[in-house]
Amino acid sequence: MDFDFTGEQDILRDGLNRFLATRYDLERSRTAVKTGAGWQPDVWKAFADELGILGAALPEDVGGIGGGPVETMVIAEALGYALVVEPYVDTAVVCAGLLHRAGGPRALELLERVVAGSAIVSLAATEAASGDHWQDVETTARRDGSDWVLTGSKILAIAAPFATHLLVTAATPSGLSLFLVDRSQSTAGLELHAYRTVDDRRAADLVINELRLPSDALLGGEGQAAASLETARDDGAAAVCAEAVGCMRRVLGDTVAYCKQRKQFGQPIGSFQALQHRMVDMHMELEQSVAAVYLAVFNANAEPATRALAVSAAKATIGRAARFIGQNAVQLHGGMGMTEELAIGHYFKRLTAVQFEFGSTDHHVARYARLTRR
Amino acid sequence: VELAWSDEDIEFRDEVRAFLRDRLTPELQQAGRLMTSVYSDHDASMAWQAILHERGWAAPSWPVEYGGCDWTLTQHYIFSRESTLAGAPNLSPMGIRMVAHALVAYGSGEQKEFFLPRILTGEVFFCQGYSEPEAGSDLAALTMAATDDGEHLVCTGSKIWTTHAREANWMFGLVRTSRAAKKQQGITFVLIEMDSPGIEIRPLVMTSGEEIQNQVFFDEVRVPKANVIGELDDGWTVAKYLLEFERGGGASSPALQVMAEHIASAAADQPGPDGGPLLDDPAFARKLADARIRTDVLEVLEHRVLSVLASGGHPGPASSMLKILSTELSQTLTELAMEAAGPRGRIYQPHAAYPGGPVAGYEPPPDGYVSGEPWQAVAPLRYFNDRAGSIYAGSNEIQRNILAKAALGL
Repeated sequence: MDFDFTGEQDILRDGLNRFLATRYDLERSRTAVKTGAGWQPDVWKAFADELGILGAALPEDVGGIGGGPVETMVIAEALGYALVVEPYVDTAVVCAGLLHRAGGPRALELLERVVAGSAIVSLAATEAASGDHWQDVETTARRDGSDWVLTGSKILAIAAPFATHLLVTAATPSGLSLFLVDRSQSTAGLELHAYRTVDDRRAADLVINELRLPSDALLGGEGQAAASLETARDDGAAAVCAEAVGCMRRVLGDTVAYCKQRKQFGQPIGSFQALQHRMVDMHMELEQSVAAVYLAVFNANAEPATRALAVSAAKATIGRAARFIGQNAVQLHGGMGMTEELAIGHYFKRLTAVQFEFGSTDHHVARYARLTRR
Repeated sequence: VELAWSDEDIEFRDEVRAFLRDRLTPELQQAGRLMTSVYSDHDASMAWQAILHERGWAAPSWPVEYGGCDWTLTQHYIFSRESTLAGAPNLSPMGIRMVAHALVAYGSGEQKEFFLPRILTGEVFFCQGYSEPEAGSDLAALTMAATDDGEHLVCTGSKIWTTHAREANWMFGLVRTSRAAKKQQGITFVLIEMDSPGIEIRPLVMTSGEEIQNQVFFDEVRVPKANVIGELDDGWTVAKYLLEFERGGGASSPALQVMAEHIASAAADQPGPDGGPLLDDPAFARKLADARIRTDVLEVLEHRVLSVLASGGHPGPASSMLKILSTELSQTLTELAMEAAGPRGRIYQPHAAYPGGPVAGYEPPPDGYVSGEPWQAVAPLRYFNDRAGSIYAGSNEIQRNILAKAALGL
């Protein structure tokens, strides 16, 4: 095992951290989601042009720089530390992976646009009745001549309101299939109900009623999407784990600093042993989370069962840590932790959402139990 | 020792049920069921108080001579549980459940005569001015100055975490009237009219987006000395007495039972983490059962404290234990509600709930679209707001300090 980063990876991380520290503003990004476009196109453009992070983990033939899971980890953690609301994990990790594995001219052409920052892709895979089981799809697609006709509904498609393209899962006669919806084409039969999430992302529910798509909208083989979708979910889970580590680093740092400075009973509250022990427990949860992310990254390209085991272990660990660190950070900040006056309130909400993204904590514990059962 | 209900109790329960059936309108019921915190929508809460007052049930725990009810302990419990079960909104705790007790115990004849009937009608609506930016857990460190100017105290300083300061027309608060060696001395308990010149209110936006709490600034606000409760410089005695009412002495187990029941019925229809209904998932089912067991036991603990109150005693340090147990149990239940809400627990849609205050920077969708059921919209707001349970009314760390000292002699 090698825990050292390459020189290129160090440069990537330092450049990104410097950019975020100087040019990513918490208030401005929240405002963009609450009352603006839902994201900051200028930031996204910088991600593509100045920092090259959108293609960092993708091969050079689609415009990427040929990195892999370690690059994704480094980027996601930095974005988590700065509480970035733009859909890096959703578009540049999850959807980019789906497009890359699907192959074919349409997918690869779109992938190049993702890397260049000119396309935002949103995955619509969750349904009301499916919960964390993306394979339980009720949305259907049928052939009509050379077209595909989709009917069904999706919930919580992250970034969908401002996405240029959607990836929609649907059941076809031979299994689970993946379809590409170009929103600049006519999309009669597609209705979006846009909203924001508690952690300040824009998302939407989709109502799909006889949505007609051209034959090349099918990505990959018909009925062949399940395995790629499983990989995408594991990639997403692993990246969100790294993002959460960034959030938790910031939150623990802020909490320790606050407890050193906040005085009650004539002394800093950080001098009270009960609170010191709490912060030490938070520290240990964070260290375990860091280790859990490595576990996921080291196994990212392993065969599916091994990868699934490692990702579930990581996501379960991060779910537990995100809850403990988030809740206790609020507690130790007292009333101020309950407000939007300090950064902690925003991070707490993200750390809450993280527990449910790409499979809840219990989902991953259950999956781990299933995979290790003889 | 007896937990079973008598025939009279059953008869009383039916009377309460009939009243709730007749008078709790669907609109008020929605407001009660879709609360996002312990604070109901203000208008719904006041409307429900007026209906209760008409029946003589707005403040059942008060002495009968001031408008309370001559109920047995069991009847109080039945009333509270039935109201919660039916989805009645919460009444504001500040007037009826808090300052009124200080007035009854320490108020002058004139003060009782003026305030108690008006609290009942809602004409006087109180907020609480205890915490200050530099005096939270260390409440006795409060510094808001009240200087003696003959007939008045002149108050300058600021209070924070004041619930519903903008809705209130009166505040009960603690001010510093003198500096003594012991910081608990020299504090005075006063009632301040909120439209007094020199008061400014700044709402605080909570993580849920709601504006329920406020910071209140006082710049040479003149408060008649006639509004002091108890003795000048001896407000700590009054505050300590009240804190026991704030922390315990109520019964939270009925509300917790109802929360658990709602979670169970919702979970029956939601997908579980490993396929099948969530309620059939062994991990979830056990977590929910564990929370319900804790609630059953808390209920007995609460009854024991209520029986002390009923025989004229006051709860003492046991109120600290009840405060810790009930707030931490409530937090566990809000976690389970988030799990039941599933992916939709992440969607921010306060328009489908009844928030306890205005929601900052939020435009509901023009068509009123709600993703999923309203309870799923409530789940995250309730989860966020409930984190305050272990912070307010003396943080749970402070309560543990109290118990270490008072219950264990450490």
